[in-house]
Parts: sequence; structure tokens; C-alpha cells
Amino acid sequence: MLTYLIRRLLLMIVTLFGVSVAIFLLLRIVPGNIADILFDSAGMIDPSEKQKIIADLGLDLPLPLQYWSWLNGVLHGELGFSYVSEKPVIDEILPRIPITARLAGLALVFAICAGVPLGVISAVKQNTKLDYALRVLSLSGLSMPSFWLGLLILMACVRWFGTIPIYDRAPASIWAWIAMLAIPAASVGFRSSALIMRLTRSSMLEILRQDFVRTAKSKGLSDNAVTYVHALRNALLPVITTIGVETAFLMGGLIVTETVFNIPGVARFLVEAIRWRDYPMVQNLVMFIAVVVVTVNLIVDLLYMLVDPRIRYSE
Amino acid sequence: MSATVPHSFWNNVSYNARRYPLGVAGGIIMIVFVLAAIFASAVAPLDPFNTNAKASLAAPGPVYLFGADMMGRDVLSRLIHGARVSLAVALGATIIGSGIGCAVGLACGYIGGWFDLLVQRVTEVMQALPLLVMALVITASLGPSLRNTIIAIAIPLIPSVARVIRSNVLSLREMPYVEAAKATGMSEWRIAIIHVLPNTLAPLIVLATAQLGSTILTEASLSFLGLGVPEPYPSWGRMLSESAAEYVRTAPWLVIYPGLAISLVVFGSNLLGDALRDALDPRQRD
Amino acid sequence: MSRLLRRLAVAGVCALSLWTGAAQAQKQGGVLRITHRDNPPSASIHEEATISTDMPFMGVFNNLVVFAPDAKQNRLEAVVPELATSWAYSDDDRTLTFKLRDGVKWHDGKPFTAEDVKCTWDAVSGKTESKMRKNPRKTWWFNIKDIVVDNPLQVTFHLNDPQPSFLVMLSGGFSPVYPCHVPAAQMRTHPIGTGPFKFVEFKQNESIRLERNPDYWKPGKPYLDGIEYSIIANRSTAVLALESGKFDMNITGELTPELVKDVQKEVPSMQCLVQPSNTQGNLLINRDRPPFDDAKIRRALVLSIDRKAFSDILSRGVYNIGGAMLAPPEGLWGWSKEFMATVPGYGADVEKSREEGRKIMASLGYSAEKPLQLKVSTRNIPDYRDAAVLLIDHMKNVYIQGELEPLDSAVWYARLLKKDYSVGMNVQGTGIDDPDVMFFENYTCASERNYTAYCNKDLETLFRKQSQTRDFEARKKLVWEIDKTLQEDGARPIVYQAQGGTCWWPHVKGLHLAVNSIYNHWRLDDVWLER
Repeated sequence: MLTYLIRRLLLMIVTLFGVSVAIFLLLRIVPGNIADILFDSAGMIDPSEKQKIIADLGLDLPLPLQYWSWLNGVLHGELGFSYVSEKPVIDEILPRIPITARLAGLALVFAICAGVPLGVISAVKQNTKLDYALRVLSLSGLSMPSFWLGLLILMACVRWFGTIPIYDRAPASIWAWIAMLAIPAASVGFRSSALIMRLTRSSMLEILRQDFVRTAKSKGLSDNAVTYVHALRNALLPVITTIGVETAFLMGGLIVTETVFNIPGVARFLVEAIRWRDYPMVQNLVMFIAVVVVTVNLIVDLLYMLVDPRIRYSE
Repeated sequence: MSATVPHSFWNNVSYNARRYPLGVAGGIIMIVFVLAAIFASAVAPLDPFNTNAKASLAAPGPVYLFGADMMGRDVLSRLIHGARVSLAVALGATIIGSGIGCAVGLACGYIGGWFDLLVQRVTEVMQALPLLVMALVITASLGPSLRNTIIAIAIPLIPSVARVIRSNVLSLREMPYVEAAKATGMSEWRIAIIHVLPNTLAPLIVLATAQLGSTILTEASLSFLGLGVPEPYPSWGRMLSESAAEYVRTAPWLVIYPGLAISLVVFGSNLLGDALRDALDPRQRD
Repeated sequence: MSRLLRRLAVAGVCALSLWTGAAQAQKQGGVLRITHRDNPPSASIHEEATISTDMPFMGVFNNLVVFAPDAKQNRLEAVVPELATSWAYSDDDRTLTFKLRDGVKWHDGKPFTAEDVKCTWDAVSGKTESKMRKNPRKTWWFNIKDIVVDNPLQVTFHLNDPQPSFLVMLSGGFSPVYPCHVPAAQMRTHPIGTGPFKFVEFKQNESIRLERNPDYWKPGKPYLDGIEYSIIANRSTAVLALESGKFDMNITGELTPELVKDVQKEVPSMQCLVQPSNTQGNLLINRDRPPFDDAKIRRALVLSIDRKAFSDILSRGVYNIGGAMLAPPEGLWGWSKEFMATVPGYGADVEKSREEGRKIMASLGYSAEKPLQLKVSTRNIPDYRDAAVLLIDHMKNVYIQGELEPLDSAVWYARLLKKDYSVGMNVQGTGIDDPDVMFFENYTCASERNYTAYCNKDLETLFRKQSQTRDFEARKKLVWEIDKTLQEDGARPIVYQAQGGTCWWPHVKGLHLAVNSIYNHWRLDDVWLER
């Protein structure tokens, strides 16, 4: 177990290193840099002034040197300065993380609370009308673009309530947070809930077919106890793994949802930073996302192993 | 179990059709969209590029069946032509991504050694980033265009395909009939092409169909963010971002119909993909 | 009366009317909440050219002189004192002396003196090396020979030639006085001014907050406790938020005429104004590259444009049609309808123009089956894209097949600079409705904003001539002729003159908007909330 953990951690570091090189190169080989954008917004083209900015930001140094100075900074906890706002990257990213985290957390809660029970019901009542209806529902959840769902919700709010849940200032209490983020979270989480429902259903079906369930049934335990205690526990394992996979997908959904509902989180900020070619910001944000995804995957795999020690990982 | 079922092609088809009605439904939806895409110019009632000041934001009616957008362009015609774009991008990206992934996976399974390890690490790096984020960075760098959108969506597909193919190849190589073939002196190449490759096709097809849905959604998201397919190609995702968000209250048809189109196509491809997986999955071939 | 005395009298009367005009039942207190559209690239007005920076941060500063808030048209006669209490020209009109207000302090407590005026204009005119990253209006100050500090409360501008527009340029929102002692980098992130509001914070992509300056030199003002701008990129979300009462007004000129009608239907009591924003849609044609190095093809392109269609589609017919200068009655210097009819391409019969264009293209070998293929580049934002789509549609009428190339801002800019484009659809704003500003910024050979490298030395002589002409009518005639020549030459074909809508709740009092610019009335020290 310990050796496995150490191996995974080492692999994680190698992976993150690879991500850092990839994102660094991807940003620099593109046409147009921050100097061009700053100038465009002011309509100016004095070449000497542009050169000043480029030299100021160290954009004229050779690439490996730029990469090294960034990496060096990161290892010392110094993530650099944003080109646009001229503030430290940390100061821009840190306040936004909790917002996105809350949104993602709420979305996951919604997904689990909606997906698991519905999946169980669907499995238990397999091939009935209810099962078909739920399957169609979950499939439509996987088919709808989350930004479309967001737009539809906005439209509904406008039509029926005359107002919309938009973020105009930081909410005061935790209940205010939940009230404000509930609808966007449902919009993002709908897709995840559909996935979780399908998975729960299929793993429940597998478990229900297996011998030990038949044995338990034959021992005379009531149907309910069998279903909800033994089967569920085992059926949840693949669901846990999916949460890991879903995290990556959730990021994508967060980007568009934060845009539609105007939430000032980290995901929307990434799009803005990309548009401005704010290299320090984009690099660090992408690294942050990669770290989150890889860490969640690791935790999920460990959880999986803990819950079911019969699983072996051999490669 | 099915020993008495005759094996002619049409009998096979009708047998499967009855077993997987949802899959058939999905297939029909896909065929309708594909046909609409191919024969767009014939099917669309009006020219999707014609701007017309007088028809700006027209409500759905006899002339503009699904209404008109801000420029007076017919929504239905743009949807039909948009099918061509969205399907072309999705198909192009899926084929390119799956193709390259398949080749990489095969190479890994066969060459093994350092090559395999290197590719493993690279795919892990690629999978550490969400699909949309990677596609976003790629199109932002290359610029929004039809070609770049296809590239941007194809690239993130490669690692997952490569992984599946690789593990399939590895397990297939252990199979008894492969061992037997080797024993009779068949070269590795022939074994690969005659025995291994056809057996990886099934999971590949299932994977590709499953990916089709998410490639369509990714293209829609990219276009929605303004970084996907640009003018003049009509794209469903971009139709949603352009005027739709502005006129949520006054022109709801701009929001409803493009989203419906996207959802329907992905729904169809998911149904089809599910059915294919159920049919081709060896575990159920009892 | 001599000219000098007359001018002092005007200044005095205007100042008086400012004070008396404000003597109504204003209420102190309250925070004005405004929706903002786009993240300001920085907080430094002198370094930016966008309303995104101009409107929020104008409240932090003062100018030497401003346009009287209740004068609907920004013009020379409406210039009133701010940090300057009075001014006087020398006899040859080449020297302008300002007497400055005593007892004014910067937000950090340091006193305002004439040195600050000299620092500011030495920096923006390029005389001194400044740490500003950009200087978009350097060409405005071409006429400054020298600036002399006579004493801490008096400063003199020495000009090369007489220039009636000089005072006008000092009055706009883009001409605040900066402190000598604050570095340019700080002005970008935490600006210090002498104005009615102090800077509190600027959260990227989120909000800008200003608070009342208790030591403001106008006693009793400002009435507001503070101003908050919230950045909401999605326009319909912003409109909904405004209608629901979460905000008091929207950023000026942001709403399309269509949206304004919508707002007024939902909230009949909402005060709205749709006025020219002094932004224009124009075409950048690359004269250095085929196919547009051929003057005939340029002409054909210009003949294909149906300006009325642009106006109809983009604004339901509200947008103005005109040349480089804003059309009357809002604009001071635009062509009359009669004069406009004499300018080629501006005739009413679009079909005839297009027929002519088709003949030209046919003579060059193009036809409907074999059109000229090219790319139309533009910035990847809705206003630009919509206009470009229309352009492509129009070009079809003269056998030109365009493909849209939407470029991300950085790339758009870089390509313009490298002249790596065929035709670009451009949208640009002009800070002040004045010919000196328009011509010198965009059409002189040496100007940095002259993207198409249009260079006509004879016309430049005329630019200078009109700049020095004092008589308004004579000057206007000159400007009309210059504008006509620019359109005939296809220097930068103007496609439409935009209008924008601003809406505010009726409890917001004391707001003034100008009809010929959106950039100049955001000091907001007269505004109060009736609640």
C-alpha cells in the first residue's frame, strides 16, 4: 500500500511537470502577446513603447530562461505577477477559488443526492416504465449542453419570477451563498447527476445479479435489507471512481456556467486570462486545475482501495 | 443460447433491432441529422446567409418557421446548415483522434518498453487537463477557425483511445489463438493485422460513438465562448451565444431551437452508443 | 469688449451658473450602483482610450477646464473652469495662461500646484520620458511648444500656432491632471486625483469602488457616499439586473436602441436616452497589398455598401449616416444633408452604386461565378462581428466573396501593425467631437493610429489650416471639404455612426449626458439619489 502511494506521488510530480512544460510552450508559440493586447486596447502602435513593455516583462529572454524563472518562482511559492492587473497572481487567484469551490461542491452534492437514489430506484425497478423514464431523463441530462440549460433556467426565472439569480456582490451568510449558487449549481450538476445515476444503476444491476445477493436473499433477509444495505455499499465503488473522472469534466461545465450566471470564479477567470494572453495567470491557473484533477484522482483511487481491499492495482 | 438463430445479415439486423429498440431510435435520429447535413442546401427553406433588415427578430411563422435572428436570417435554415458544420467537426475530430489514438495504442501494445512508458506519461499529462480547458487553450492559440476547432477537439481524444486500445492489445496478445498462430510461425505483423486489429475494432467503435456526443458538446461550448467555429459557418453553439443571450426575453426561439438541436443529436448518438456497447460487449454475449 | 475680457466674462458667468444651478433640494448620501460592461485594461485614463476606463475613473480626477455639465453639446462655448479659475490668451493667440485654484489637495494630502499641470502635459505630449506604458493621445498635443510654471498657481502653455480647439481638448474626460509625485504604475492600479471621489478598489473582472472625498474643493459636494461599478459581461444579464432594481444605471452608451425600448416597456418610469456615442464603424483597407492596391477595386468595395442597411439592422434605423465627423444635429462638424448628397457613395440609390461597382469588377474579369475571394478580418466581439457579417453580405453584390476572420484582440492588433490583412472591419470611438482630434489622430501621415498608412500631404496642410481658423462657419466649410476628400479617397470608409442607450432609475438625479460624446460628463459630483 505504501509503495503504491509513493509510486503514485512520484508519478503525480512527473505528470505535473509535463503539464507545466506543455502549457508554457503552448502559450508562447502563439501569435500575439500581452504587449499587443495592451496596445490594441489603446489603439497605439509606437514600436519603441511596445519594446519597453516587452523588455519590462522579460518577454524577450530566451524561452528556457523564461521557463526556468517561472518554475523557480513556483517552487519558492512565488507565482509571479499578472500582466494585466500588475498584482501578484496569488492575490488574483486565491479570492476566486472559494467561489468556484463552493459552486463545484454544491453541484457535486446535488449530483449525488439526485443521482444515487434515482439510480437505485431505476435498478430495482428495472425494465419498468419508471426505469425507462428515468433512463431517458438521465440520457437527456448527458445530452444537454450545460450552458443551454443555464440559459433556459435564466429564461424561466425571467418569465416566472421576473428576476434572476445573478452575482452582484459577495453574499453575507452561508445561506445567502447557497441561495445565490443553488440554481447555477443545479445547472452544472445536472449532467453529473445523470452520469452518477446511470453508473449507480448499472453497478446495482451487476451486484443484484451476483451470487452473494441471491444467497443473502435465500437466507431469508427481507428484500429491503438486501437491496439497500449490501448491494448499495458495493455498488458505490465505481461511483466513487467516477467522481474523480467527473471532476475534470465539471471544470468544463463550470467555465460556461460561470460565464452565463456571471459568477466571478476561477473558471471564468481562466477564459479572461487566455483572452488577454496574461501568461503568468494562465500558466498558474492551468497548473492549479491540473493539480486539482490529479489530486482528486489520487484520493479517489486511495478511497477505492480502502473501501474494497480486494482490488489490486498491478501494472 | 442463440444456436437456432440463422446468421444471414438481415436476420441479424432485425434480431438486434428488436433487442435494442432505443438503439434503433438513436440510429434513426442520427441518420435524419446526417441526411439533413448532407442535403442541407436542398432541405433548407431559405438561404442561411441572407441578411434582411425587415425580418430582424421575426417570431416563428409561415415564412420563418423557427423565427429569424437579429440579422433577419432564418433560424431553421441555419440549424440545418449548422448540422453540417457540427457533424463535420465532430466526425472529423473523432476520426482523427481515434485514428491517431488507435495507432498509438497499437504501437504501445507492440513495441512496449521505453516507448510505452513515455507514451503512458504523456497521456497522463494530457488527461490531467479537462477536455474543454485543453481545447480552449489550443483554439485560443491557433485562432478560431473550422480547421483549428477540429484539431483542438481531436487532440484531447487521443489519450483515452490510446489507453483502451493499448490494454485491449495487451490482453489479446495473451489469447490462445494468438499464441497458436505464433506457434505455427506466423509473423507478428500478420498476427497483428489479421487477428488483433479486427478484435480491437469493436471497443474502438463503441468508444468512438461514445466520444461523438462529447465532441459535439465541446464544439458547442467552444463556439459559445467565441473560440470555436467562426462566421460564415453557422454553428449551433455560436447561435446560442450571439443574439440568444441578448434577447432571452424578447426572442426565446433563438435560445430554444439551437439548444434543442444540439441535445437531440447528442441524445441520438448516446442512445446508439449505448446500444452498440450492449451489443458488442463480450460480457453479454452469453 | 476685447476678446480677452469677453472670454473672462464667459468663464465667470459659467462658473456662477454652475453654483446656482446646483441649488436645489439635493440629498446627501447613498451609493450609486452602475453596471459595467468590460474589464478596464487599467485605471489610468491617460493610458487608455476606452469608455471602460474613462467613465469609472473620471470621478477620481479634475481637469483644468471642463464642459459645462448642463450644456448638451460639447463645444468651445461650453468650456467652464475646474482646476483653472480663469484663463487668457495672448494677443497672437499663441500663449494661453491659466490661473489655478488655491487650496486644492490630492487624495493623499499633498497640495496641487502648477507643477502637476506641467508634469502631466510634458508626459502626454512626449516631451519627458514617462513610465506610462501607452500614450494613445500623444498626437492631440502636437501644437505644444513649451509649458512654463509662472508661479505655483499659474501655468502658461506656449503653442506653435493658434489653435481654437486647444481648450476643447483640455476639457474632455481624457484630459485629467495627474500628480507629479505618483508613479505611472500606481496610477494604473491605484490612481490618485483631486476629484470628488477617492479610489477604493478595483477587482479585475468584478467591480470598481469609489468613495466620497470629504476634502473636495467644492463645498457640499459630492452628494453621493460612493460609486460602485459591477462588471457584468453579458448584456442581457446586466439589463435584467438593472430592471430588477439591483442597479441604478448602466454604463453609458451600452444599450442598443432595441434594448432601450425593451427596458422602457418593462419599467415605464425608467429614464433612458439614446444618443450618438461618437463611435463609428469604418473599414480599414490595406492599400499596400493586393487586391486593394488597385484603386478601382477599392472603389468597387466602397460602392457596394448600403449604409442604410447597416443602420437598419444594427440599430433599427437609429444610427446616423455621415462622414468622419459626427452628423448634425448632434454633431457640430458633420455634413448637411445637401452637402452629403454630393459625396460619391452617399447617394440614395444604392442599386445604382452597386451597378457601377459591378461594372468595375466585371472590367477586371470578375463575375458572380468567379468572384474575388478575400478575408475580412475583425475583432472577435459581437459589435465588430455583426458589422463584418453585414459587410460580407454587401460585398457579394460586387462579386466579392468574403470570409470572416474573427481575431482575438492580441492577434487583431498584431496583424494590423504588420499590415497582414486585406480589409478589416473596425469600430472606433473619438473622445471629443472636434476636427483637430479626428484628423490629427487618424489621418496624418505620422500618426500612430493611422493604420492604413493613408498619406496625403496636401490634405495635411488643410488640416493645419482649419486648426488655426477661428471663425466657426469658415472652419466648418473647410472641415466639410476635407471630410469629403477623405471619403472620396477611400481613406477609411465610414459605414455607420453609432448611437448608444443609457438608462437610469428616476431616483438618480443630476445626471447630464452630452449629445455628441459619451466620454466627458462622468465627474458625477452633481449627482444625488432621491430616496
